[in-house]
Amino acid sequence: MYRSTRGLPVAVAAAAVLFIAGRFVPALAGDTGGAPEGPTIGPEVPAVEISLAYRPELDPGRAGYYGFGTTATPEMIAGWDIDVRPDGTGLPEGSGSVEEGEPLYEEQCAACHGFFGEGEGRWPKLAGGYGTLTEARPEKTIGSYWPYASTVWDYVHRAMPFFEPQSLTDDEVYAIVAYLLYLNDIVGDDFVLTRDNLAGIEMPHRDGFFVDPRPDVQNVACMKDCKDPDSIKITWDSTDLGVTPTEFFKGDEEEGETATAADPNLGLNVYQQACATCHKGGLAGAPIVGDRDQWRTRLAQGMDVLVEHAVNGYQGSAGYMPPKGGQIQLTDEEVAAAVRYMTASASE
Amino acid sequence: MASGIRIKAKLTGDQVEVKTLMKHEMETGTRKDSKTGETVPAHYIQEVKAEINGNVVMTANWGPAVSKNPYLSFNVNGAKAGDTLKISWVDNKGETDSAETTIS
Repeated sequence: MYRSTRGLPVAVAAAAVLFIAGRFVPALAGDTGGAPEGPTIGPEVPAVEISLAYRPELDPGRAGYYGFGTTATPEMIAGWDIDVRPDGTGLPEGSGSVEEGEPLYEEQCAACHGFFGEGEGRWPKLAGGYGTLTEARPEKTIGSYWPYASTVWDYVHRAMPFFEPQSLTDDEVYAIVAYLLYLNDIVGDDFVLTRDNLAGIEMPHRDGFFVDPRPDVQNVACMKDCKDPDSIKITWDSTDLGVTPTEFFKGDEEEGETATAADPNLGLNVYQQACATCHKGGLAGAPIVGDRDQWRTRLAQGMDVLVEHAVNGYQGSAGYMPPKGGQIQLTDEEVAAAVRYMTASASE
Repeated sequence: MASGIRIKAKLTGDQVEVKTLMKHEMETGTRKDSKTGETVPAHYIQEVKAEINGNVVMTANWGPAVSKNPYLSFNVNGAKAGDTLKISWVDNKGETDSAETTIS
């Protein structure tokens, strides 16, 4: 709920760097000849230091000046720095009474939050719910749950009304907060809320929170006796399980010079065109693709033998494999790719 | 603050729109306590009465089906701004509560 203003310069600087990266790198990447002077980032200037603390000189006339990283002015910070603390820090001058708050609440808030803070439909309930926090359906309202009245002021001022946030004047916020406290039986109906008495309001659930007693865990990076990166080798990956088809890519490496071999779907395409007629359903004794038992003895002969049989034809004990499956227009390469595709799905 | 009833009564035209919220447990008498397993005794508002300047303008007979902390809204003809509106209820244990407001 409470935003630290100390975080603001970092956030502004980070946004500026992201903006540079997002907008100008693509432009510069295609323009290696005439990079502008001054701070740039791009492939041709690899070592430019980009840090969150970086500020370009405030000289709009200088080439390459993009106006990023300008120090926030006091007015800019004041626009963001609207948080109100439990001790009243951040509250502006002003005041508002329960009486003034009632018509304002009915006009601005009651449509959703209900005339008594009971919440219309599924909109948030603002009042009541005392003693329900330990029940199966706790009702977390301002009175039953919120520990500080300052949060009510901050939230109403920051985010309400829902459709027009920050449209209320400071006095109107004071009056609405006073009325909300009245709806929760925290103050009487003649109460006037001011900058000075807001921090002193004792909310019913004020002592219902505690600081998490668990210690912070410190994980210090070692960065000593590190292994030489060159000595690190991948010794195992999923292809060793046989579940990842690798035959296509082996084919790429071995026969990468021909254009057809580079097509990873070549084997599949040839198979569907020429081989599937028999090998899909086991017609004429053909080993069925994907049936490991049928392929095991055949694979044992080695891939070269299988490809040779497929290209030149083969009379086996189970049946006859015609040369190239009868599709003599296929090249030897295409037949070999189809064999690799078919056996890949059968290998373990 | 002492009363558990909140009232708003606003005159628009010749009608007064009354809105009230009553603080009450409204136990049905059929619910069981999750820890002890014993039935929670019934405790609910049986009669709600609205009076303007002492004349009863509405009586409502309620039962255990009405929700916890009930909200009630109704319109009344013939009242004037400045009239006194009194809302009161009696529950099945004989407890009672009432509140008054001025019609605005």
